[in-house]
Amino acid sequence: MKNDYIPYPAVIESIITESFDTKTFRVKFTDKKIADNFSYVQGQFMQISLMGTGEAPISISSSPSRKGFLEFSIRSVGKLTKKIHELKVREKMFIRGPYGKGHFPFEEIKGKNLIFVAGGIGLPPLRSLINLIMDNRKDFENVKILYGCKTADEFCFKDELKAWNKIPNTEVLLTVDKKTDDWTGRVGVVTELWKDADIKSDNAVAFLCGPPIMIKFVVQKLEGSGFSDKNIIMTLERHMKCGIGKCGHCNVGDKFICVDGPVFTCAEVKKFPKKDGAM
Amino acid sequence: MTKKVINKSDISKLLIDANNEYNVYVPMEHIGGDVLFSALSKEKNSLEEDVKRINLASEKTFNSPKEIFYPQLETMMEYNDKGEIKETVESSKKLVFGVRPCDFHAIAHQDNFFSKNYEDKYYLSRRENSLIVIIGCNTPPRPEACFCTSVGTGPFLTEGFDIQLVDLDDYYLVEIGNEKGADFIKKHEKYFSDPYRDEIKHAERKKLEAEEKINLKVNFNKALQIMKTEEIPQDNLERIAERCIECGACVYVCPTCTCFDVFDDVKCGEGVRCRIWDTCVFSGYTREASGHNPGAKKEFRAARRYEHKLKYDTLETGISGCIGCGRCLHSCPVDIGMSNFIKEITTNQKYH
Repeated sequence: MKNDYIPYPAVIESIITESFDTKTFRVKFTDKKIADNFSYVQGQFMQISLMGTGEAPISISSSPSRKGFLEFSIRSVGKLTKKIHELKVREKMFIRGPYGKGHFPFEEIKGKNLIFVAGGIGLPPLRSLINLIMDNRKDFENVKILYGCKTADEFCFKDELKAWNKIPNTEVLLTVDKKTDDWTGRVGVVTELWKDADIKSDNAVAFLCGPPIMIKFVVQKLEGSGFSDKNIIMTLERHMKCGIGKCGHCNVGDKFICVDGPVFTCAEVKKFPKKDGAM
Repeated sequence: MTKKVINKSDISKLLIDANNEYNVYVPMEHIGGDVLFSALSKEKNSLEEDVKRINLASEKTFNSPKEIFYPQLETMMEYNDKGEIKETVESSKKLVFGVRPCDFHAIAHQDNFFSKNYEDKYYLSRRENSLIVIIGCNTPPRPEACFCTSVGTGPFLTEGFDIQLVDLDDYYLVEIGNEKGADFIKKHEKYFSDPYRDEIKHAERKKLEAEEKINLKVNFNKALQIMKTEEIPQDNLERIAERCIECGACVYVCPTCTCFDVFDDVKCGEGVRCRIWDTCVFSGYTREASGHNPGAKKEFRAARRYEHKLKYDTLETGISGCIGCGRCLHSCPVDIGMSNFIKEITTNQKYH
C-alpha cells in the first residue's frame, strides 16, 4: 500500500525574490524515477515540508506546459514559510503530491475571453493557468489580468507582468491599496480596475484568487457585468494538514478543499454553508 | 450461525493462550478504577498481573477501542539530518476482546473513512490483522446516555461481526459470525463446548431484556431527516455555544471522530513527524498562518460537529456518523450531548 504521507526530496535549482516577502523556488525531484513519473495539472497544489519544522499546502505556480521542474511562489508568513525563505540554491525541501481533483479547466475554455483577478499572494496559483494559456495563446481570445496588492513592492512576477502585457490581445492592469512615491498607476482595491478594463461576460470565463473579502466584492462586480456563477472559477485556501481528505481541517460542508478543490466554480461555492466563510 | 459456550473462568486462560499469537487488547482496570482497553503484557510476571486487572463485567469502559487502530498520538515517520525518511507503520496481529456493539459500528465507520479516496496506511495497517470479539450489552454501560436502540446499533449485533458473546452469568454464549471467527474458535476449541437448547433460549431472552433496559429514546430518523433538509436554528446553536467550555472531551471520547494535527519534533539530529487527535471545536482548528480564521465563531463550530455526523456522513454513505454510544453526553462537564441535541431539534423543548 502506498503511504501518501511520505514526502520526497527535491533540490532547489533557483530562487527568485519576487517582493519583500515572497520568493519563487524552482525545484526538481532528486530521484529520477519519481521525477519521470510525476505530472500535474494547472491549479493543483503540493504539500511542502522541511523535516523538523513542518508541512504546509502550497499551490504550484508553474505551468504544466513547462516540464522538468516545479515552481512554488511562497510568502513568508508562518513558522515553515519563514524557514523556507532561508533556504539557498542546492538545498533541499521535501514535497508530496500533486493534490486536488478540482483544478482549472483548459480544453473547455479554448476560444473564450479570459479574465483573471488576483489579490496579493493570489496570483501564484493563477499563474499556473496563465502561463499554460500563454504557451497556447492562439487558442484563446482576449486575456485580461487584473492584479491588486497592498503596495507596489508586493507585486510578484514583475518581469512576467510586463511580458504578458506585450502579447497581442493581452492586457495586465495593476492597482495598489496604498500609493508610494514610485507608483504612478491606479490606487484602490482591485474592483477599481473595472473603470480601466472593459469587462464583458460574452463568451468569457473569470478566474479569481485572493483574500475572502476580495472574492466577495469581485464576484459582485462580475455578476454586475453579467457573468453567471458557473463562469466564475476560484481557487480557495484553507488550513490543511494532510492534503488527502483525512485530517479534517479544510472541510467545508460536505466537501474537502484539498480533495474536492481547491478550484471550485462560484456556483459550487455558493452551495457551501454560509457559516464556513468561503465568501 | 454456529454457536458455542465458554465458561467465564476459562476466559483468562483463552486470552493468555491467544497472547502468544496476537497482541491482546482487553478492558483492564487502572489506578482510580477507570477501565480502559489495554494490551496484555508479553512478559510472564506482568502478564499475570494484567490478567487480574481484566474487567469484562465492568460496563464502564471509558474510551472506545478507537485508539487501538488510530492512536491519540502516533509517529508517522522518522528522519535524520542526512534527509533520510523512514515510515513507521505498525501491523501486528491484534485480538480486541470485549468491544461493545455500538463501538463495532464505529469501527466499520472508521474502516470506510480511512480507505476511501486515499488509503490511510497507518490506520489500515493497524487494522489489517485484527480479530474483534464483541460482548453485547445486557445492561447499558452508560444508563443515562446510551441510546443505541434509537440508532439501531445495539445492544446486540445481528450480523457482520467475527465473534459475539452473550453474557449468561457463569457462561458466555459464543456466536460465530464469519470464517475468521470460526478459525479462532477452532484453534482454541478446548475452551469451547456446544450449547444446550436452554442456553440458546436464555441468550435470546437476555437480548430482548437488554433492549428494554435502554431507557433513553430519541427520534433519530426524524433528526436525520431534519438535518438533511433544514438549517439548525440559530438559537439552538447559540445556546450550545454559550455553555460549551471547549474542553474537547466529546470529540476525544467519540469513537467516530477522526481529525488530526501533524507536528514535527527533533532531538539531536533525529526527528519524528507525528499525528495527534485534533478537533473542530477548538478555535485554532481552522486558523491559517495569516491569522485569517474562517471557523472563528463558536456557534458555527458547534454546528459543524452535528452536521458532519448527522447530515454529511448520512448523505455520503447512508449511515450516520453517530452510533448512539452516549459518550459525548456522559463526558461533557456541561451536559451537552448528541442525544440532547437530537431531542431539541425533534421536539420543541430546550435541553441545553
